[in-house]
Amino acid sequence: MSEPISRRKSLVDYRITASKCQDCGSVYFPPKSFCDVEGRASSMASVDYFYEQGEFYSGSIISAPTSHFKYLDNYLTGVAQFGNVKLPGRITDHIPGQSDDINKYIGRLIIPRFRRTYADGHDGLVYYSSLNFSFADEYYPLQEYVEIQPSKEIEKPGIVGYGAYIPKYRIKNDGKGILGVTERTLPFADEDTTTFSVEAGKRALIHAGLNSSYVKKCFVGSESPTYAVKPIMATVSQVLELGEKFEDGFFSGGVDTQFACKAATDLFIDAAALVNFPAFGGEHVMVIGADNSQAAPGDALDYTVGAGATAYIFGRRDVIATLDHYVAYTSDTPDFYRREGQKYPRHGGRFTGQPAYFKHVLTATNRLLEKADMKPKDIDYAIGHSPNGVFPQRALSRVGFTKEQIEPGLVARKIGNLYSGSCPTSLAGVLDIAMPGDTILMSAYGSGAGSDAYIFTVTDQILEKRERTIPLMDQVESPHREYVDYTFYRKMKDSV
Amino acid sequence: MSHGSTAKPIAAIVGAGRTKFGELWYDNPEKLLFEAGLQCMQSVDKGINRTQLQAAYFGSFLYQSTNKIGLIPGHMSKELGLNIPISMTEAACASGGSALYNACVSIRSGLHDIVFVGGFEKMTDRANLISDDLMFAADPNEVNAGYTFPGLYATMMARYMYDYGKGNEDCGDAMAMVAVKNHHHAMPNENAQFRREFTVDAIKNSSIVAHPVRLLHCSPVTDGASALIITTPEKAKEFTDDPIYIMSSQQATDAISLYSRESLTSVKTTKLAVGAAMKEANVTYDDIKIAEVHDCFTVEEVMFLEDSGFYKTGEGWKGVYESYESGKGSKHIPYLNEGKELIVNPGGGLKADGHPVGATGIRQVQECWAQLRGEAGGQQVDGDIDTALAHNIGGTGAICTAHILRRNI
Repeated sequence: MSEPISRRKSLVDYRITASKCQDCGSVYFPPKSFCDVEGRASSMASVDYFYEQGEFYSGSIISAPTSHFKYLDNYLTGVAQFGNVKLPGRITDHIPGQSDDINKYIGRLIIPRFRRTYADGHDGLVYYSSLNFSFADEYYPLQEYVEIQPSKEIEKPGIVGYGAYIPKYRIKNDGKGILGVTERTLPFADEDTTTFSVEAGKRALIHAGLNSSYVKKCFVGSESPTYAVKPIMATVSQVLELGEKFEDGFFSGGVDTQFACKAATDLFIDAAALVNFPAFGGEHVMVIGADNSQAAPGDALDYTVGAGATAYIFGRRDVIATLDHYVAYTSDTPDFYRREGQKYPRHGGRFTGQPAYFKHVLTATNRLLEKADMKPKDIDYAIGHSPNGVFPQRALSRVGFTKEQIEPGLVARKIGNLYSGSCPTSLAGVLDIAMPGDTILMSAYGSGAGSDAYIFTVTDQILEKRERTIPLMDQVESPHREYVDYTFYRKMKDSV
Repeated sequence: MSHGSTAKPIAAIVGAGRTKFGELWYDNPEKLLFEAGLQCMQSVDKGINRTQLQAAYFGSFLYQSTNKIGLIPGHMSKELGLNIPISMTEAACASGGSALYNACVSIRSGLHDIVFVGGFEKMTDRANLISDDLMFAADPNEVNAGYTFPGLYATMMARYMYDYGKGNEDCGDAMAMVAVKNHHHAMPNENAQFRREFTVDAIKNSSIVAHPVRLLHCSPVTDGASALIITTPEKAKEFTDDPIYIMSSQQATDAISLYSRESLTSVKTTKLAVGAAMKEANVTYDDIKIAEVHDCFTVEEVMFLEDSGFYKTGEGWKGVYESYESGKGSKHIPYLNEGKELIVNPGGGLKADGHPVGATGIRQVQECWAQLRGEAGGQQVDGDIDTALAHNIGGTGAICTAHILRRNI
């Protein structure tokens, strides 16, 4: 298929757009301009199946794929039934046996997932589609997307919705773990930072119950972007339809950012500021921290890195946690870096640790408490960037926080270091359990180096929206998670 | 032989030829076509000169992608040394049948009296990428779903077995029996790619390609060419005292995408094209004794038996199973139903004779031509046969051509 055809197709495939005859109800995928039954006089409306659930109608386990799909080995592909339209698609997050009985798949409920279709080699375009489906009774539950009319009341800026996503596949570290990390997430072969971002953003929209056209800016922070030049946020905006739609695009903006592991958290304050700024012309900003955390095979990092993303929507209506205090601290510190064109990051000499992580996190956190005129005992939950399961506990203890305040945010022990997704995901884990009135301190860290420290206060809205989340710990402890060995893990990492 | 049909022929075949099918390492596509064409010219009983040809219609699918050649009319003008109108038809695996359909249109219209028809494919030169190339005949969404052609037919087979087999292992055996039968039929066929017997267990235990389709459920990757010369019925006897008449030539189309079809367990274009061809020729299965059927995957032959009306919907696999059990061991294993007998793919079909996709539709008609004239050699069907059907499918059923041939009119 040519690149222009693929580009035009993506506009249909990202949302699984179809057309429906208003007269007879016939549905056509891809969309047609007229109905076969009613003729050219038919009135056609656009529909999409992005948030819908279908059923596996029939299929095959492909063992001898075309060259673009060799990266998947065996996989199940087939025809799905959504209402009265059938769609082709591949089953993702599922590795079938070569001779599995197809009958056991027929009739199972499936949900669309935005995943990589294939890449044109290492230097060509990467193609995505939502015509990839996960089984509804496995790792992903169906989430209904219900738009809630926003409150008329304008509040202090803060978080109005969030969505955390960690992949289904895990690898265990031996014994008690390495630096406190006992197991970690890894991407499936068709996942990357772009697909993580879309999934997290989708969950955030569902959680907020927000019409996506109200989101006028999207920031994606990552240190494992799919492209060196081509923004993930443009794909996220296209798939999630952020901003007012106009022709093939949307009236919204944004940018991808990099600052090691604080590429996303640094933008929290900007997002909160923007929604308060009249000239912005919008009320909502999405910030996503996403990474398929990279580490060279055999490097110490290779035993602590994870994969996943968390998205936040900032606004001023129906806020679940207000952003109350903020301090950032930065210095040029060569603790960790990746040169342009290099596949894996490296540590700079002995800088990691005291002169980098601890110095910046402690400085920012202490200044934040001072500025807020608060003591550690005034905070209910304390979160630190988690390059491993030891550093955040050590740093926050030095500030004066107790184990009870720190433990809920120490999700890295079970999911690994999500780099730019680390603090955002820990925060999601805390928001999942926080009650109205709780205060949350979060101190992010990015090598290079800097720390952003925030204090949030949880509002009553959090309870109203809670049922629309897939709690992080449900994902961490999902009975459908699958453990893999190191060979599989490396293959998945390198596939991306 | 007597028959009740009063239909008039639309054209007549006065010559036919083909190459061996297989991996033909030393031959280029145009060389294969030349070889089939030469054999075809030489088969004309009373002789024909190439300068008598008024037009030519060719069918091929992958020549541009696999062989990196184009403008076939120019190639063939050079080979033939003629400057006549030459048209090229691409309709995936139905390229050959569609070229013949177009040639028949030309004869029917009165534009031409003597027309050359050829089909060719040279697939093995790019065997490592042929799975990719074949997907040009699929819907782009199917390509992006990671489908292969065996995968698409496996999807049809899986649903067929789910709806009609309902867990009965005999249904799976029937899918294998089609292959066993066609390989058995190919044993005496000197041109066939695979002259080798297989057991049902061997088919069912062959390597998995796209479950539930296994390697030996699939037709092979093949090189080869085939050719026909057709004329008006009135002119036929100028070239032979034994022409084979084309009583009907029909084509039907449907959405390229499997998922857009009304059914995954039948092929609408087979129903339409074969139904129209039988109507045009005014024949039924009381008249048709042999059929060249597009058995690219064994499930397709089972579906044909239902879609063409030989068996009821959902009962094709039972007919295949019972016919195989009662007919195994004989030279040809006919399908049986309420006193009717139908020998399908007497020379081995696509499965064993080979499937050089653009050549297949023409090869099927060439086989019928030879069978009806009693010149099919070792695979000649016993008894006196008068009417034959050729059924050629493109893709997963996006196009189907059906031609009914008769010896006596």
